[in-house]
Amino acid sequence: MTDMPLRTIGRPDRRIDAGEKVSGQATYTADIDLPGMLHAKVLRSPHGHARIRSIDAAAARAMPGVHAVLTRDETAVIPMPVYGYFIKDQPIVATDKVRYEGDIVAAVAAVDEGTANRALAAIRVEYEPLPVVTDLESASDPHAAELFEDAPVGIVPKYGQGASGELRPRRNVCYRFSYETGPADAFADCDHVFEDVFHFSRMHHFHLEPFVCVADWSREDRIELWTSCQNPFPVRKEIARIFGMAENRIAVRVPYIGGGFGSKNNCKTEPIALALSRIAGRPVRFCLTLEEGFLTNTQHAAILKVKTGVMQDGTLIARDSEILLDSGAYSDGSPLVAEKAGYRIPGPYRYKRIGTDCYCVMTNTAPAGPFRGFGGTQTSWACESQIDMIAHRLGIDPYEMRRKNLIDLGEPFVPGESGMDSDLREGLDLVVRELGYRRRDELKDDGPVKRGMGLAIGFKDGGGVNKPALARVKVSTNGDIFLQCGTAEIGQGAHTALSSVVAERLGTDRARVRYMPVDTDHSPFDQGTNASSAISVMGQAVDRATLAVRRQILDFAAEMLDCPADELELVDWEIRRGNEAHPLAPMIMGYYGGTGWEFVGEGFHKAENSHAAPLEAPCVFWEIGWGGAQVAVDTETGKVTVEKLFVTGDAGRAIHPLACRGQDEGAALMGLSQALFERMIYDGSRLVNGDALTYRVPLADDLPEDFRSITQEQGHGPGPFGAKGMGEGGMLPVASAIANAIYDAAGVRLTELPLSPERVLAALAAKDAE
Amino acid sequence: MPDRLDPRFDLSFTLNGAPVDTATTTATTLADLLRDRRDGRGTKLACERAVCGACTVLVDDVPRASCSVFAFEVEGSAVRTVEGLTHDGELSSVQAAFADNSAFQCGFCTAGMILLTEALLARDPDPDDATIRDWISSNICRCTGYNLILEAVRDAARRKREAGQ
Repeated sequence: MTDMPLRTIGRPDRRIDAGEKVSGQATYTADIDLPGMLHAKVLRSPHGHARIRSIDAAAARAMPGVHAVLTRDETAVIPMPVYGYFIKDQPIVATDKVRYEGDIVAAVAAVDEGTANRALAAIRVEYEPLPVVTDLESASDPHAAELFEDAPVGIVPKYGQGASGELRPRRNVCYRFSYETGPADAFADCDHVFEDVFHFSRMHHFHLEPFVCVADWSREDRIELWTSCQNPFPVRKEIARIFGMAENRIAVRVPYIGGGFGSKNNCKTEPIALALSRIAGRPVRFCLTLEEGFLTNTQHAAILKVKTGVMQDGTLIARDSEILLDSGAYSDGSPLVAEKAGYRIPGPYRYKRIGTDCYCVMTNTAPAGPFRGFGGTQTSWACESQIDMIAHRLGIDPYEMRRKNLIDLGEPFVPGESGMDSDLREGLDLVVRELGYRRRDELKDDGPVKRGMGLAIGFKDGGGVNKPALARVKVSTNGDIFLQCGTAEIGQGAHTALSSVVAERLGTDRARVRYMPVDTDHSPFDQGTNASSAISVMGQAVDRATLAVRRQILDFAAEMLDCPADELELVDWEIRRGNEAHPLAPMIMGYYGGTGWEFVGEGFHKAENSHAAPLEAPCVFWEIGWGGAQVAVDTETGKVTVEKLFVTGDAGRAIHPLACRGQDEGAALMGLSQALFERMIYDGSRLVNGDALTYRVPLADDLPEDFRSITQEQGHGPGPFGAKGMGEGGMLPVASAIANAIYDAAGVRLTELPLSPERVLAALAAKDAE
Repeated sequence: MPDRLDPRFDLSFTLNGAPVDTATTTATTLADLLRDRRDGRGTKLACERAVCGACTVLVDDVPRASCSVFAFEVEGSAVRTVEGLTHDGELSSVQAAFADNSAFQCGFCTAGMILLTEALLARDPDPDDATIRDWISSNICRCTGYNLILEAVRDAARRKREAGQ
């Protein structure tokens, strides 16, 4: 390849979506308007758990302006009116029961949302309330009410070495994931065994663009769907299964997405909008309110019980864990999150023995699903808190304790896994330097205000499991480049990064590359925009597609110029051979005729299947978020002020440095707000703060006085130019770094999020009572 | 649909400098009125409770959450939206600063943040950091962590001062 300096990669230029987004021209699903389009609204259950005795929608159907009403009577004729990832348990609208406050009972499509809401108010539903299940630990007691009396259809995927899964292992648990390596009796050889329990709170994604789709099924044999969705191809497959349609009759299109953070995977609004559109014979827009978003998908609250065996010198030996994930009323992505939580709980450390059981506990609350970190946020909270606790119990500095046990660069995480692709100590030392951690003894207290510092290393396997990706690059006669792939632009900058790779390889400016609209009719197959996989997985496919088309162009030119291809370079759509420059357009028209030609290259990537790897394919890359915090704890009020927050990720190679920085800092701020205040508050089965005013997300005012990130470029990533994925790592270390800093400052250990003033005061009181 | 209880009435205001004479109802919000126009989809709706600020527009140079302003309230007013900031294809200083600093990700809060910044810099061409934070705290960005936005606002202020705007 060329040894010329890079012209696009690593430059602080504008993202390709900058112009459209700052001028209001960018189109989102929420902006789409079709002729004759109707508007959908839904009726939601006021009960956490109830049997439906009757539904009378006659008055709604008769209202002027109402074009379609959907209840269990209508969904009864749909071939498979349930959906879900591993377990198909969520009905399009409720059939026999409602399972959470907010569960959808009926839907209406009308000329406008106001008319639809009036029609919903005219629907009479008779409920027989049932006891609710909301507590993770008692959900499996024999007397607990049962969310599902009958087993929904579900699968357990193939697992590799040491991993296993089970459907419905016990009452109100829809899935268990387990992983084991090393001898169970390893604890017997340990100098100390510590058992600690951690509680993790629950957030809503709070993406600003609501859940929204526009569905057009006005023609019987053709579905057109525009949706704010992270994985159009799996959604197409799910729609085909639900409605019994051929996949080549379904087009799923994804315009710009106004944020998702994991929530916009798989069916959300789409089945209802489609069913209504079929009944009405007109396109239907179904846009949830932000309040309804809280009732649609959430993060997993969790209880994590962690038992760790260690030698007196701080060497980790064994870790067994039991994790309970609050999955809410439907399985959604919970089994996948359970896999990841169960797999990630050891953290980036070396053990002789790991054993984990992770349970998806069903409760009468909103369905939980994928959320930035995907189980890794829960496990990093528990893992990194406990590492600190053990260090203090053994009288070792937490920094030294971590350093001693971290996996080396290139060392497999567990047997059969890929090697660690970041130097973990290098990242940790960067945090220590930037934070001034070694000088923390010099921090001054102000009377009752105590200061301290804490560290943490967030850890997850990145890039998804067994994820195939295909990309296509076309170059026209004039050197205009079409990039076709299924990665959605959800804010992360993927379209910029992937276009940069193409431009760099073809020796041209990124402005020559157009990222073609994501449309399942035309884009090559993709599993989804998730798991920080855009640059690490799709990036490899794009890179190969670009190199393939480059090879074709050079071979063509070599034939035209009657010389070996390896004498040629491609720069600015000219063929360079020594000092000669040959414009390509005339050469192409000379051979293919005046209408010209398009060169087309395809590229594929998938991690090799391997039964030796616990999750059946080795991890694509390791996503690490190192973090450190300095806090001031007011021991009179319990208020924790984060004075410094520093996070750093390893991009491998930063394709677009500002986008990398934005991803890390945005993720870190989500971690900060979860640590200090942000959470969904349930009173029994009722969400009491499910709206923008009372559910507090962080504002600019909440930034620590010193809030910074540094993007490392260690260069070991599998993606193009050594890149690794970004976007989740920055969130992972924050809560535990702050809890560890609180301990350093005030000598109290908080094991439940958020780290609220009440909890700090209670912990201080308990300490004084000792 | 015509509604006897909510009859249509005439409304006149200027939108990005051009006169608008239209008909509306008492229940129509400014955001809906703007978004129903062919060129008005740059104004985004997110929380619809005047909390997040995604729908911010300028009404007589004051930032307002257009989701919670009735259309009739702008009778005779000058309304500015994100569509009115670009002239002959050239971005305003604030837009350019947001673009150059990557002060956006998903872009859903961006129009509101930019209009908020336009209003701030019209009042205070050289705001200190505390003032910038205070202003930006009236809108929500879920993506960036705000640092890049704060930097864009400082950069926009500098650009405007240098351009003598």
